[in-house]
Order: sequence, then structure tokens, then C-alpha cells
Amino acid sequence: MIPECSREADVLEAIAFGRLSDATEPELAAHVAGCPVCRDLADVARALHADREAALRDAHPPTAGMVWWRATIRARAEAAQTAMQPMTVLQGIAGACVAGATAALATVAWRLAGASARLDDLISYFASGRGEFASGFGFEHALLMLVGLAACLVLAPLALYITLADD
Amino acid sequence: MTVSELGRLDAEAQVAEDTFQMDEDAFRVFYDRTARPVWAYLSRMTGDARLADDLLQEAYYRFLRARVTYETDAHRRNYLFRIATNLVRDERRRPRVASTPIGGEDDTDCADPRSSDPAAAAARRVDLGRAMTRLKPRERDLLWLAYAQGSSHQEIADALGLKRSSIKLLLYRARRRLAALLRERER
Repeated sequence: MIPECSREADVLEAIAFGRLSDATEPELAAHVAGCPVCRDLADVARALHADREAALRDAHPPTAGMVWWRATIRARAEAAQTAMQPMTVLQGIAGACVAGATAALATVAWRLAGASARLDDLISYFASGRGEFASGFGFEHALLMLVGLAACLVLAPLALYITLADD
Repeated sequence: MTVSELGRLDAEAQVAEDTFQMDEDAFRVFYDRTARPVWAYLSRMTGDARLADDLLQEAYYRFLRARVTYETDAHRRNYLFRIATNLVRDERRRPRVASTPIGGEDDTDCADPRSSDPAAAAARRVDLGRAMTRLKPRERDLLWLAYAQGSSHQEIADALGLKRSSIKLLLYRARRRLAALLRERER
């Protein structure tokens, strides 16, 4: 059960208009002094009302034009970011396609060039101290293949990064 | 004004028209009527004037972007206070770094010039500020909206996202606590 008083509204109104005192509202002031509900209400409402008045005096909000302008700028930036979002997804898909195509091409090229045989040549060349290398032609091809692979290892991540970078 | 500037302004106006729920003229009228009470609420609930400035901008931005159909002007205003309340709530959860306190020890400059005793008025404000910090955040919101803002129970319920039927009891308890704290300080 919440204790109530029928004069609470009168007290609030008197405080809102700054006339709750012995001089202006003696009868109401006497009631407030004797009623615990109204006394709590008056103490709290008076303090908060005065604080609000002070806060309103302190308040120096920016102009409506400034707030509107900032909001417009922000909305525009967010709209641009939203518009860019599908592009980022597409860029990701494109990057993955590029990586896949590169890998497929490298595999095909590897097979066409008989790379495993060339690698064997290369290994045997180094193992025998260049003496028993099957053919000079094969060695050159194997070396080229290795340089190509190394270039792919460096360039592929770079290409991927450039493709996926937002800016 | 150059052609490119005109084009830019036109583009900005188009963005605003597409994104915001009201045009600039209507916003100006609404803002002029509500900005100061909202700022007062934000500053007292956060205890930080600079933060209140930032939150004010954020509150109006969210308000403008909200796709809500307002039945009345009061509904629109309550919705704005609801946004402000949520911002304050979010801010309370964040760790505080630095602030420009309001109602601190040296608050005599802000004393009510119409008061017969500015020093006493400032002291009362300090007492209130300290007492308010000992209340729960929701109690502070309730008391401010009810007795500083003069909002009805329905408006408070809308602004704080509470049931209207529970406002009376919550308000009574908060009021009793604050009254006791204020009296404790007077002694």
C-alpha cells in the first residue's frame, strides 16, 4: 500500500510556480509541514525543480542548424559505407576466384612442363655436384619453374591484398 | 557559390530527405523546443557537461533516423527522452575516463542569480548532486522526469520503457529515499 495524500497535486503545482511558502500559500505550507507524504514530495520536487532551472541556465546546446548539418554529414558517410558493402563482398569473391584460377593454372603449367621430371633433374644435378646433370636444357627449365613458383608465392598474396583492400 | 557546391548541397539535402523522418524546418522547430530540457536531463543524469553535448547530438541523430510514426507531439518528445535515457544507460556501463563534473565542490558560479542567497542555493545543489549519486540510476531517471521535467506517469513509462502501473510505486520509493538523503545532509 502506497501512502498517498490528496494534496500532492497542489504541492507540485505550487512548487512549479514557485509559490509554496508561508507568505504565498500559508495553508498549504502548514499542511506540508504536518504531512509526511507531502513533506517528502515538497523536499524532493523543490530541490529537483531548482536544479532543473539551474541546468537550463547552464545549457548551451548547439544550434539546430549545426545539429542538422552534422547529422546530414554522418548520414551521408553511413550511406556511402552501406553502398560500399556489397562491393567489399564482391571484391572478396573476386579475390577468391583469382586465387583459385592462379592455383589451377599453376597446376596445369606444372604438368605440361613435366615439372616433376625437371625437379628430379635439378635434384640430381645438385646431388652430383653438377657433374651428371641429364641435360642443360632441363636444368634451365627447372630453374625457371622454381623462379616462377617463388614469384607466385610473393605476388599472389600481394594481388590478393590489393584486391581485398577497402581503399 | 559554385556549381559543385550547389551540387554538394543538393546531394546532402537528398540524403537527409531519404534518411531522416522530418525535414529541416520541422526539425528546427522541434529542436528549439526540446534541446535545452534534453541537455539538462543528459547533463544531470551523466554529471558531465561535455558528455551531455555529445549525447545530445547522438540523441537527435538517432531520433532523426528512427522510422517511427508519431501520433502526437508528446509521443515524439517521449521518444526522444527514451533515446536519451538509453544513451545515458549505455554511458553508465562504460568506464569513465575524464569528465567535466556538474554540481561539484566549487559550484557557486552556477548559483541561481534570482535566489536570495546564491551560496545557499549552490550548497543545496551540491547536496542534491551528492544525494542523487547514492540513488540507483533508474531512481535518478524517474525522479528527474517526474519532478524536474514534470512528466506524467505515462510519459515516464514511455521514456524509461517501464510499465505504467509500476511507476507509482517506484517513484514513491525513490522519492522517499531521496528525501531521507537530503534531510541527512541538512543535519
